Amino acid sequence: MTRVNQKSSSSTGVSRRAFLGGTAAVVAMFALDAAPGSKMAQALAASLPSDATGGAVNGWIQINADNTVTIAFGGAEMGQGILTGLAQAAAEELMVAWSQVRTQAAPASQSYITGGSYGIRANFNAMRIAGAQAREVLVASAAATWGIAAGSCSVTDGIVTNTVTKASLSFAQLAKDAATRTPSASPTLTGTSQFRVIGRSMARLDIPSKVDGSAVFGIDVRVPGMVYAAVRNCPTIGGTLAKTPAKPAGAIAVVPLGTAVAVVASNTWAAFRAAEALSVSWTTPSTASQLNSATIAAQAQTLMATGTPGSPAAERIGDAAGSFASASSKVEATYSLPYLPHVCMEVLNCTASVTATSCEVWVPTQAASWVQATAMAITGLPASAVTVHPTLLGGGLGRKIEQDYVSQAITVSKAVGKPVKLTWRREEDLSHDQYRPMGLVRVRLGADASGALTSLAVRTVAPSPLFQRGWMAPTGNDNVEGAEGLPYAIPNRLVEYVRHTAAVPVGFWRSVGNSINCFAVESAIDELATSLRVDPLEFRRRMLASDPRTLAVLQRAASDIGWSSTPPAGVARGLAISNGFGSIVALAVEVSQPTTGVMRVNRVACAVDCGFVVNPGQVESQLQGGIIQGISSAFWGQTTFSNGVASSRNFSNTRMLLMKETPSITVSQLQSGLDMIGGIGEVGVPPVAPALANAWSRLTGTRMRSLPFFPSANHMDD
Amino acid sequence: MTAMTYNVNGRKYQFDADSGMPLLWVIRDIIGLTGTKYGCGVEICKACTVWIDGSPEKSCEKRASEGVGVKITTIEGLSATPVGLRLQQAFVDVQAPQCGYCQSGMLMAATSLVARSPKPTDAQIDSALGNICACGTYPRVKQAIRKATGQ
Ligand code: FES
Ligand code: FES
Repeated sequence: MTRVNQKSSSSTGVSRRAFLGGTAAVVAMFALDAAPGSKMAQALAASLPSDATGGAVNGWIQINADNTVTIAFGGAEMGQGILTGLAQAAAEELMVAWSQVRTQAAPASQSYITGGSYGIRANFNAMRIAGAQAREVLVASAAATWGIAAGSCSVTDGIVTNTVTKASLSFAQLAKDAATRTPSASPTLTGTSQFRVIGRSMARLDIPSKVDGSAVFGIDVRVPGMVYAAVRNCPTIGGTLAKTPAKPAGAIAVVPLGTAVAVVASNTWAAFRAAEALSVSWTTPSTASQLNSATIAAQAQTLMATGTPGSPAAERIGDAAGSFASASSKVEATYSLPYLPHVCMEVLNCTASVTATSCEVWVPTQAASWVQATAMAITGLPASAVTVHPTLLGGGLGRKIEQDYVSQAITVSKAVGKPVKLTWRREEDLSHDQYRPMGLVRVRLGADASGALTSLAVRTVAPSPLFQRGWMAPTGNDNVEGAEGLPYAIPNRLVEYVRHTAAVPVGFWRSVGNSINCFAVESAIDELATSLRVDPLEFRRRMLASDPRTLAVLQRAASDIGWSSTPPAGVARGLAISNGFGSIVALAVEVSQPTTGVMRVNRVACAVDCGFVVNPGQVESQLQGGIIQGISSAFWGQTTFSNGVASSRNFSNTRMLLMKETPSITVSQLQSGLDMIGGIGEVGVPPVAPALANAWSRLTGTRMRSLPFFPSANHMDD
Repeated sequence: MTAMTYNVNGRKYQFDADSGMPLLWVIRDIIGLTGTKYGCGVEICKACTVWIDGSPEKSCEKRASEGVGVKITTIEGLSATPVGLRLQQAFVDVQAPQCGYCQSGMLMAATSLVARSPKPTDAQIDSALGNICACGTYPRVKQAIRKATGQ
């Protein structure tokens, strides 16, 4: 079954003439989407202002005078390879050489939200169709020129050849005429066996600029006449500026921002220093005293015991409670997880230039269309007066979908009447995140006398990013990914969500609920296997007999690590699987204990089935990256709160895995058909923590049910 | 404000700056070479690595006055050295960067390692590249260094 969006360009009705520029000609247009059918997509779609959605076109294919092809679309490139993956789809059908391909960001009004690992899976087919439409109109022009049938033309590397006379015309020569032709709604697509570009590790188009300093991230934007701003956000959640502080010597302006205050100066460092020098008085809410990690954890315990779950339950099959009561073997365990910061290497920043009649914004964002809406709301200008220039992102991870930093920059530029680049110091970035929710997850597993798992009950207590944004009814469920729809054959299941209303701002963090529940469920499965004295691989294998895809992935990871062999002395292995974003990942890890209480990850064998693989090299690097982030988070990742103030300051207390601590990571890719494309940006993260906990338990006999594993080792120094 | 003259990537720059301003911000905001990155400002992440007289230094820990009378090399000038060019090519060949934000610092550190040790061991690579990469490009960065050194 196909999960991709199939809107085609011919349904748009927007004049291609509107996009023509110079000698270039636009020969196809198309529409892309965020996460079709997902809860997040519904919320996103509902929240878009109607005058900022820009109609149905959000990308186009342009043939340039030098016979290169520019593919324009609105998606955020943050290293996950979206530009390249989608360009591969179009280039394949266009029948151009990879060296002829260029990409360009579409305007904000034509962008879509980049998140949920949907960039490729939602849009791959639309890109193929657009590429094929473009090729067909170009071929039609050539055929008309020569007075032959289109079928008598062939296309290679952007050149159309008359197969009878061997005459040829380049796309560039044909583009002007082709642009006047109406493309077919159902063009002929290239057969899978003919693919030259799709399915190969094509070189990423953004990489050359990332090795010579020429890549422009948001923080690198320079606009003539620009001044620089730094912010002090109120340290206490919910607090506001009591009064605008005096302007420090040398600063250009101080701008109140409600929950923050900005200082404007002549360079970034001067602004940082002026921000530190500000004497600010804040009004903090009386409720701030409740925002302590210990209090929030105790509230979670109470909610676990007596809270009202979302209704109906996220998943209810059979009678999990009854089956658990009569089970002959049981595990009941509760797992806790902390708030997590995103930690993008590029701190939050935004450059804005507001005048009476226009607003321009340069910003690293996962949501350019929201930036446009934010600008319209602050300036009162119409969509046509707002231009958003999305830049490369030095990491996004879900943080750069938010608008807090964007609205600050626009407000400051409006106040000072100049272009302003606003940059958050690392300390602001980590202490004012919209964190991955904390979680408390109780898992009850029951097995029958034969050792078969008969019941699973998961109750997840966590704050809800969807509810905090008003995107969810009070009785709804959030953060249940990774607990519902598990691939195992379990006849009785109950998955419940209990909302925690703590006021810490929470957001979308790479793999969202999966990162919470996969830790609990995959740990509990191992706990039950251990108590049944069954090998954890064998235990999982028995439950996957009717899911050959997941079984194959699990067996591959296990064989890659050499599961059936005895590990070296002092080494233990652990497993975990995760299904999410349309992909299946299994991890097998090897850990050791070089000194008492210290875990070293020696090896990670990852197997993945993400359906059809568009770019194998990119799948490998996304999984390696997700696994490395997963190790950092599992070992040290957390933000705690004291009277509403976040603990995270800088890398000094936010430790990140370094090269010398990184294990060897192999990634084996299993392919399913082209009609299944899964996401790969997020799936590497969730199985890391449980695989490590499972291995550690086998190594030491100690079961770790609380993340992070080593909270007191979270410091780094120079 | 002090009048200063810098030599960056073989070019002369004259400007006025507060002598206490970190070299990082002189390079980025005053000279306008933005390939050198701010990651932490507290000398941990190494995103801000440049060479001063050929040796890798964290530019956030140097003051503007320390940039005077020395030769500064940034990522924008790396390709002028044969080893730098070789490393850049290897980073492209193995497709090392993800978001790319930390890669300038990685390349400055990697190049000076290879200039010192033409065939670095894994342990030497690990200790020379203490740069933080939130995207997790470590395996490929290491692969690029091995490739560039014929290993
Ligand atoms: S910015 Fe200099 S070490 Fe992080
Ligand atoms: S490539 Fe993104 S931080 Fe290293």
